[in-house]
Amino acid sequence: MAKPLPKIGSRRNGRIGSRKNSRKIPKGVIHVQASFNNTIVTVTDVRGRVISWSSAGTCGFRGTRRGTPFAAQTAAGNAIRTVVDQGMQRAEVMIKGPGLGRDAALRAIRRSSILLSFVRDVTPMPHNGCRPPKKRRV
Amino acid sequence: MVAKQIQRELSDMLLTDTVLQYAVLPESALGADRYLSSLTTISDVEVSADLQVVKVYVSVFGDDRGKEVAIAGLKSKAKYVRSELGRRMKLRLTPEIRFIEDESLERGSRVIAILDRIKAEKENGLDEDDLSESYDSPQDDRDWEGDDPDEDIIYVK
Repeated sequence: MAKPLPKIGSRRNGRIGSRKNSRKIPKGVIHVQASFNNTIVTVTDVRGRVISWSSAGTCGFRGTRRGTPFAAQTAAGNAIRTVVDQGMQRAEVMIKGPGLGRDAALRAIRRSSILLSFVRDVTPMPHNGCRPPKKRRV
Repeated sequence: MVAKQIQRELSDMLLTDTVLQYAVLPESALGADRYLSSLTTISDVEVSADLQVVKVYVSVFGDDRGKEVAIAGLKSKAKYVRSELGRRMKLRLTPEIRFIEDESLERGSRVIAILDRIKAEKENGLDEDDLSESYDSPQDDRDWEGDDPDEDIIYVK
């Protein structure tokens, strides 16, 4: 969990939450978590503090439609729209998980005016650690 | 249902299996902290009625060379994938796997990009009609050439 960075005199300014949203960040990171049933797109700054997020579920799709590539593309478009207005030009994309959202969200980001600097795959890979859940019998 | 299960297994294999990853993206063996030049996704799986033939539609994000390398790599590893699938899934007869390149996502993205461009131009045109007429054509030409993310795939057939 990211620690909120301590600010001197933050006790007085603690209540003013909306002041932080007017930061202008030219470079950020877009995290795309694409599972089989949903896609979550989170836009953070370079250190990892979240600026805005959107998912296929919050875009109005429910049930099986959340997992479709079209839903992923709307979620990505939604998440980026807030940030482009704040002036983000370059972004690095981190993709996690299998799922159709990977491709579709990436194409949606590419179509927008944000310049893709890097595409990384950060699917968590254990070096044979915890025991995975048991196999599904379908 | 079998198709869904096969899709899950194949996607998982693409993520975890080093042999497949090296086939799809040869530079992953160098271990460059996963900075990818192309991204392969399995978009659809179709199974024949007798479960003997499986058509796997693969969509690759990246430039042309990356696409060719990925599809060629997958096709060369078809037998390996078949044996891995047989080991992971309990099926009476492991089906033959055919990889097919899936252009539908890319085509859809192209169409949406063109539609967005038309919409933006219409809005620009409406705004500029109020200001001045003569600015329109040089501005339009510059917009057409300047802001193209994928320059070589403009052709709409």
